[in-house]
Amino acid sequence: MLFFYTLLFLILTAAAIFAAPLRCKAWTALGLVSVGALWGVIRASLVLAGGGVPLLWSVGGTLFGGDTGSMDPLSAFFVIIISVGSVAATLYSRGYLAHTLPAKSPAHVSLHYASLTVMCYAMLGVVCSDGGFSFLFFWELMTVASFLLVLYDAQRREVARAALSYLIMMHIGFVLLVIGFVRLDAVCGSGSFASLADYFRSHPAMPLYVVFLAGFGMKAGMFPMHVWLPEAHPAAPSHVSALMSGVMIKTGVYGIIRITGALGDLPALHTAGVVLLVAGIVTGVWGVLLAATQNDVKRLLAYSSIENVGVILIGAGIAALGKAAGNPMVALCGIAGALMHTLNHSLFKALLFFGAGNVLSQTHTTSLDRLGGLARHMPLTAILFLAGTAAICALPPLNGFVSELLIYLGMLDGIASGSNILASAAGLAALALIGGGVVLAFTKLYGTVFLGSPRTHEVAEASEADNTRIAAMALPLAGILFVGLFPGAAVGLATRAADFFVRTPSDAAEWLLTPTLTAVGRTAWLLLCVVGILLWIRRRMLRTRRVTSGPTWGCGFTSPNVRMQYTGESFSEGLQSIARPLTQSSGDGSPVGKGEIFPDAHTFEIGYRDRIGRLFSAWWVELLRVINQRVMRLRTGKINHYVLFALAFLALVFLLSILNII
Amino acid sequence: MALLNTLLLLLAALCIPGVINRTRARLAGRKGIRFAQHLYDLRLLLRKDAVYSTTTTALFRAVPSVYLGAAFVAALFVPVGDLAPLLSFDGDLVAFAYLLALGRTALILAAMDTGSSFEGMGASREALYGMLVEPALLLTLGTLALLSGYTSFAEIFDDGLPREVQLIIVLLFAAYVLTKIVFTESGRVPVDDPRTHLELTMIHEVMCLDYCGVDLAYIKMAGWLKCGALSMLAANAAAATFGLRWWVAAPLAVVLTGVSVGVVESTQARNKLARNTTFILTIMALAALLFFTAYLLQLNIGIQ
Repeated sequence: MLFFYTLLFLILTAAAIFAAPLRCKAWTALGLVSVGALWGVIRASLVLAGGGVPLLWSVGGTLFGGDTGSMDPLSAFFVIIISVGSVAATLYSRGYLAHTLPAKSPAHVSLHYASLTVMCYAMLGVVCSDGGFSFLFFWELMTVASFLLVLYDAQRREVARAALSYLIMMHIGFVLLVIGFVRLDAVCGSGSFASLADYFRSHPAMPLYVVFLAGFGMKAGMFPMHVWLPEAHPAAPSHVSALMSGVMIKTGVYGIIRITGALGDLPALHTAGVVLLVAGIVTGVWGVLLAATQNDVKRLLAYSSIENVGVILIGAGIAALGKAAGNPMVALCGIAGALMHTLNHSLFKALLFFGAGNVLSQTHTTSLDRLGGLARHMPLTAILFLAGTAAICALPPLNGFVSELLIYLGMLDGIASGSNILASAAGLAALALIGGGVVLAFTKLYGTVFLGSPRTHEVAEASEADNTRIAAMALPLAGILFVGLFPGAAVGLATRAADFFVRTPSDAAEWLLTPTLTAVGRTAWLLLCVVGILLWIRRRMLRTRRVTSGPTWGCGFTSPNVRMQYTGESFSEGLQSIARPLTQSSGDGSPVGKGEIFPDAHTFEIGYRDRIGRLFSAWWVELLRVINQRVMRLRTGKINHYVLFALAFLALVFLLSILNII
Repeated sequence: MALLNTLLLLLAALCIPGVINRTRARLAGRKGIRFAQHLYDLRLLLRKDAVYSTTTTALFRAVPSVYLGAAFVAALFVPVGDLAPLLSFDGDLVAFAYLLALGRTALILAAMDTGSSFEGMGASREALYGMLVEPALLLTLGTLALLSGYTSFAEIFDDGLPREVQLIIVLLFAAYVLTKIVFTESGRVPVDDPRTHLELTMIHEVMCLDYCGVDLAYIKMAGWLKCGALSMLAANAAAATFGLRWWVAAPLAVVLTGVSVGVVESTQARNKLARNTTFILTIMALAALLFFTAYLLQLNIGIQ
């Protein structure tokens, strides 16, 4: 019945949105999403408050014999993330798409909003499924909906390309998941996550674990399967980027945490922890290095999402190692840190993508080298973006600091108590390097986009975005401030969700973390007070002084112009000089010819490509194309041939079965 | 006790620039300026009028307060010898490192706010060196956590560090790495030269080019506090080899940083810029080596 209801829901949603007048489509979608989000938040709050695990659906007779959906604390935690992110993204889309509406056909816009609504519900379905067919069903629904969302500007060539490569990569991941679930079903007779624990107990765990990890890692953007992210995010409209980066890739993280939890206390947990830690370190460092070298706002944000997934994986890896070593404090800090960082990233990354959307729609560019000085023209966006920047740099007193502190605490505790010392030290050094790299990447981003002087006149004439968009940005900001200033309350949710993993009662978990979190909260307030007092003193002192203004001091040079400002490219030049082996610079442009006495306008564009991305345009892609061409010869278009193929297939199956091969 | 701790730390932070100047003067055969000259300069700055660039926004005006506030709160975590600091919790070493990062980020953004190419240059270098020095700092603090079995400064230095003879070398090594980090973080020779800012190779000083008056005074104070707090950590690690007492640690911090910075600035030239990254990467490698040595020695002691 579930699938019938889903179909009915799909039709009704589409009908509602298609029937609404053009101006109201956004509000209709927002209404539909809000209903689901409200339901989700209420149910999730009840679950996290300790109200048992409600069964949401139960279907019989599917591919894997029948499966159920329920909301345990981990699902509930992700339901909250998805609900908040979906509402913010839908609210933001209204203002963001408003100026594109005249250029699009109503059907196009309707399709977009219908996909947006379906996507939000599909994500809720994914995290509430207990595995098996309904999980794969919602997973695929989510992928297809997000594909349609990316395609909003389908007339642009690079958008169609990015969307297609996204779809292909997602399906490689999907195939891996199908393989995983089919294997699970074949052995255990059921494809649910609960039976995964039985499988891991009775069979060699690592092969299946790695298959699932690769499948989920594809969605999460784990190295080296991250290449779709920096292509898809710049191509998609900004609210879609926010939704995909903030929320959708977290379903991959959800899957990884689920399967790691299913490992229980087996010896394989230690191996899994090492795998996750190494994957996290590589993903994080790679993401941050490439983020720091990008010169496009949205590409930079996309790479920073990869880096954040790396941080989350480091937390999960430390948790697994701590649990395998029998150290509950390390396990708790690691998993609570990973979950908190998942929540935090969904908040600040949504905020930052919304900010990037404001910049794009008001200035029509996302290239760092054309922007500048926007803080004067878009003050609200600038302040909100600054908060997001500080949060993603994990600076106190905001939320990023709380989650990274938990992960650090897990590693330091591992070092201090003597379990997994070297692994913890590697994680410690890597996380510190990532932290410093994020500061570099985001000071570059904020400094070149919002500070200084405008680099082009279009940018100098930009105006502030409309109020609904600012309101949509204020929603994640509220979360950022809440987690940063009241860490105890927020981490309480994460420890409840981590229950299934650490198996320490949640009151004991709170007892372990409360002293630290209370102190962190107090430090945050103290910092605010100290800064406030210092600002007040400064104001008092300046009251009796003469305050004048003048041009920026040019070290004696009297006519500096805006083109002399440091650009994004020059800002990260120092890093590029040491990270050259990892990044691949590409310069496109035409040099001035010898014969040109009065040269025409020439352009030169420099960029940094991902070496891993090149793998996907290497020889084997060409090989695949050739093979594909050969296979296409079989497609003759004649019915008699096709009947013959069917006969040949049956004969093959018959032959193989009498030879006892299948 | 906590108040005494804070007072001692502030005192040490204020003394260090004086000792540096004295050492440099003596080594150059000069009598040198007054010991407290930097405090007189500060008073002068606080009385000055202010000029702001027309390119800057409110962010530029707020940054000095954030920088000083962050440095001050970070300093509250640092114990002087065996005294208890004002703030302490499990994992406060991370809070310490990230509060320093907060100050650095604020200053970088302020430098970018002026739109000046010089300040952008300084900001870009500061961001890179900050990124590279962070792993070194955390690995060194991680080594102290490994040796003591605690994760907060207060517990590490309050009798937490072991007294085995074999580990003395590790503690001295840690103090050495921390001193190198002090050099980098407070912008001293051979990474940076605080005495000039009009050369293209400058880092820290060039970022504050557009500040004057109260704001510059705030930035100077924050720099001293940062330097003082890090020096105190180095001194604590060194003093832990022979029984950590506050009346040992506080003077040691002043002398250790004051004399070493003074000597290096009198005898060495500043690095060529390209060598700076090598210098900082070396600190990172030393920190990794330090951690590994501590780990092996501890294993060895455990086996015995």
